[in-house]
Amino acid sequence: MSGIDCTYEPAVVTAVLSGQFPRGCDEALVAHARECEVCREVSAIATLMHDDHDRARYEVQVPASGQVWWRAAVRARLDSTQASMRPMTWLHGITAAVAVGVMLAVMGAAWPMLMPVVERVWAMVAGYFPSADVANAVANGLRLSAMLGLIGAAILVVAPLALYFALSDD
Amino acid sequence: MREFTLTDMERLGAFDEAERTFQMTEEAFRTFYELTARPVRVYLGRMTNDDRLADDLLQETYYRFLRSNVPFENDDHRRRYLYRIATNLVHDHRRKPHVEIPSAVLPEPAPRFTEPTLAERAARRIDLQRAMARLKPRERSMLWLAYALGWSHEEIAASIGVKTGSLKPLLHRARQRLAGLLKTGGRS
Repeated sequence: MSGIDCTYEPAVVTAVLSGQFPRGCDEALVAHARECEVCREVSAIATLMHDDHDRARYEVQVPASGQVWWRAAVRARLDSTQASMRPMTWLHGITAAVAVGVMLAVMGAAWPMLMPVVERVWAMVAGYFPSADVANAVANGLRLSAMLGLIGAAILVVAPLALYFALSDD
Repeated sequence: MREFTLTDMERLGAFDEAERTFQMTEEAFRTFYELTARPVRVYLGRMTNDDRLADDLLQETYYRFLRSNVPFENDDHRRRYLYRIATNLVHDHRRKPHVEIPSAVLPEPAPRFTEPTLAERAARRIDLQRAMARLKPRERSMLWLAYALGWSHEEIAASIGVKTGSLKPLLHRARQRLAGLLKTGGRS
């Protein structure tokens, strides 16, 4: 015996778990368990746990094996479906990023082309205004309207995409 | 002849899928489950002190077991692996924040070699459960596997993921803590 264990410990545990301790097993083992501090403690704890385990086994309710199997099968199916959907989710993300990128590029390309049109319209209408200040204000308003128009168009394209991703299951 | 509904078709599909991904057939699983479900459920119940959680973990244990790709040498190896999954699940759950459930109040009979009465046995069981609830999860696992199931030190070490050499002092300390708690009726 080393103070923390005893060579008889496995024999004591086996005797307790087979229901033969203290009656029905070797008298010498019972006598040893009375004297040895480790075996006394082991036998007391093993007796309690064995008793608890034995009774709890009959008291406890477990689902039928078919039910556990069925739930596991459904779960396996869901897991494999989710795993197969993962590349699609990635593809959706990439598509959305490309759409936004294209939108920004179109806006960037359209802006310089739109400016001459705005300038020409301003030149046409400038003569109708009595002062330069009023004409400048109208020109600035035209530029602002063009920019707002472009942003509005971008939102019209991006909003359905954003809604689609927000409302999708993933 | 009975008509097949959509649910039936889905079930057949799910079973086919399961047969492919699970490591055993439903027939083999039924046999294994009948042998192991109750002891594993009791183990989970004693480790968690929560019946509903133990039920959930039982399902999860068997699911992970069925999805595992371990080549089992024999039934003992399979059973030990099942307990290992259960132990890991309990420990994973313990790492999450949880609410401690207070235990019932009971009198305190000390362990002895004479045959106890039915009432004494019931009281001792509650004391044991209360004392176990005060131990660390790993201590509970070690003690249960060693003294309720009679596993060897090697088997316990493999199941809870410690070296066999480290198990003896750990088990000794856990046993002494439990013995101390049992003397006070499971109260600290």
